[in-house]
Amino acid sequence: MALIECRHLTRTYKRGAEAITPLQDLDLDIEAGAFVALMGPSGSGKTTLLNLLAGIDRPTAGTLSVAGSPVHTLARGELARWRSTHVGYIFQLYNLIPVLTAYENVELPLLLQPMSRSERHARVAAALEAVSISDRHAHYPRQLSGGQEQRVAIARAIVTEPSILLADEPTGDLDRATATSMMELLARLNAEQGRTIVMVTHDPRTTEWADTVLHLEKGKLVEQAVGGAA
Amino acid sequence: MMRLLRVCPTVLRQIIRSPIRSALTVIGISVAMYLFVSVEAMREGVHTATQVQAGDTTLVVYRENRFCPFSSRLPQFYGDRIERLEGVNSVVPMQIHVSNCRASLDVVTFRGVPRDELGTALASGGKITDGSVAAWERRGDAAVVGEALAARRGVRVGDRFSAAGITVFVAGILETDHPQDRNIAWVHLPFLQEAARRGGTGGLVTQFNVAVDEPAHLEAVASEIDALFRHDEHPTATRPERAFVGRAARDIVELVDFAGLLAWGALAAVFALIANAIVLAMRDRLRDHAVLQTLGFSGPLIAWMVLVEGATLGLVGGLLGAIGAFATVRVGHFSLTMEGLNIEIASGWSAPLVGIAAALALGVLAAIVPALRLARRDIASCFRAV
Repeated sequence: MALIECRHLTRTYKRGAEAITPLQDLDLDIEAGAFVALMGPSGSGKTTLLNLLAGIDRPTAGTLSVAGSPVHTLARGELARWRSTHVGYIFQLYNLIPVLTAYENVELPLLLQPMSRSERHARVAAALEAVSISDRHAHYPRQLSGGQEQRVAIARAIVTEPSILLADEPTGDLDRATATSMMELLARLNAEQGRTIVMVTHDPRTTEWADTVLHLEKGKLVEQAVGGAA
Repeated sequence: MMRLLRVCPTVLRQIIRSPIRSALTVIGISVAMYLFVSVEAMREGVHTATQVQAGDTTLVVYRENRFCPFSSRLPQFYGDRIERLEGVNSVVPMQIHVSNCRASLDVVTFRGVPRDELGTALASGGKITDGSVAAWERRGDAAVVGEALAARRGVRVGDRFSAAGITVFVAGILETDHPQDRNIAWVHLPFLQEAARRGGTGGLVTQFNVAVDEPAHLEAVASEIDALFRHDEHPTATRPERAFVGRAARDIVELVDFAGLLAWGALAAVFALIANAIVLAMRDRLRDHAVLQTLGFSGPLIAWMVLVEGATLGLVGGLLGAIGAFATVRVGHFSLTMEGLNIEIASGWSAPLVGIAAALALGVLAAIVPALRLARRDIASCFRAV
């Protein structure tokens, strides 16, 4: 059984009288431990699919199951709880909380888990170590470079040991060298820790780290290719 | 439940690490709460001094239709006739001399009582903490000084001080629960009469303080006293002591009641300040809240964080303002005096505690609407709005 199962997944928005369907009747299976790159032109439904997988948006029709949980049936509160344990989300613009240090940003998702302070400390330290940013734990986001901020954001995403790691153009705001090191980091997390990663990207070079590349167009899956890592 | 507590340090960090916004809000709240607590302390003092209570047994006999100690003149021998009435325990004739007949924050009121009646004149519950009645009896110019007056003037036993052209020797300091007595200098009646004789009032007193045996007899004895002198040259008006204070200090009471509007204004200012600070903070942190929701923070948990922020701002501002007002009133020993009657500004914990509780409640109230709006907002719309 696949870790992620989408069946006839559809999302429709209303904009005034007009109905927009960025994702239409999508069937998709993603196995545990996969590294999937989602590609396609703007408006093809990549981010909509990512948001549905993350449980921050809800399908209009169809079913979505992640690690056996029927995500499409969960109420808002249940969905929030589910996100806190199953999803790690990496944003293009890092989205760290500016008034919190790197350590405190990474600690945030753990505040929702029933664990002691020392346990939290150990988990945060391990996550910062995993992304090689431990020496910057006391720095605020404004004191970090873009690459360092993205490392902290990745540490925040993996600290709860989620079932899936979702990344929305994680290298979109980084220079080439930093983007490469970031992709190597994600590939390492995928290979060494067995994290399932679904990444939206516009950059074809980043697909060499993925084992599967999905091409979306007008809300439909038009091509499924093997990535460079396969 | 533990989640609610675990996120509180994050809220405090958000407050502390936005120092300018937080400081401006807290300063505004504390200034408003300072005003509120000061006015409440004044109102409480007026209430304590003017509301007749169930256990009161003291009547004040004054010259009818007179409200100033300079114009109330009663023959001292009236005291003997009052004392014979049924239900009367004791009568203390008093000559009152004040340093200033106008409403003021620093008026010295002298009360002259006969040499052997000082103990009776001092309200029950009072005690001389420094000096003694014997020391007072030994000297003709001796005075037992109420604690608030002594603190305000900075006098101790053995000192001399002057007011209204009268110089007295401090023979004792009186500590008492009775607000009227905390601002009085008790002197010998003949000494005060002699001092006032220059004005031609020898043999006359300002008022009689009459103690009755039962609180229930207060009204009946008052009516009997006034009936006794109705056709005399100096008819009397007799009232329970607190009612007498309330009537004589009516202007102060009205003024303080008006000041109550200021207190409400201060509360409204606190509400507006916190609401404004929270709304601006929420607008600035729209993206942060969307991120928190993405991480798994639920709407109610984020609403709770907003409420904690409002409550914290209110509490800190309220504490600073209330403690500032409390310290000012405590150190200042202020009393409002009008025509020889003292209304002490309450220096107890009650007004500051009400102020702190009000600031806390307003903090929560002001944050409710922004909290609910934020809790209902979905993640995608938060990201779109920034």
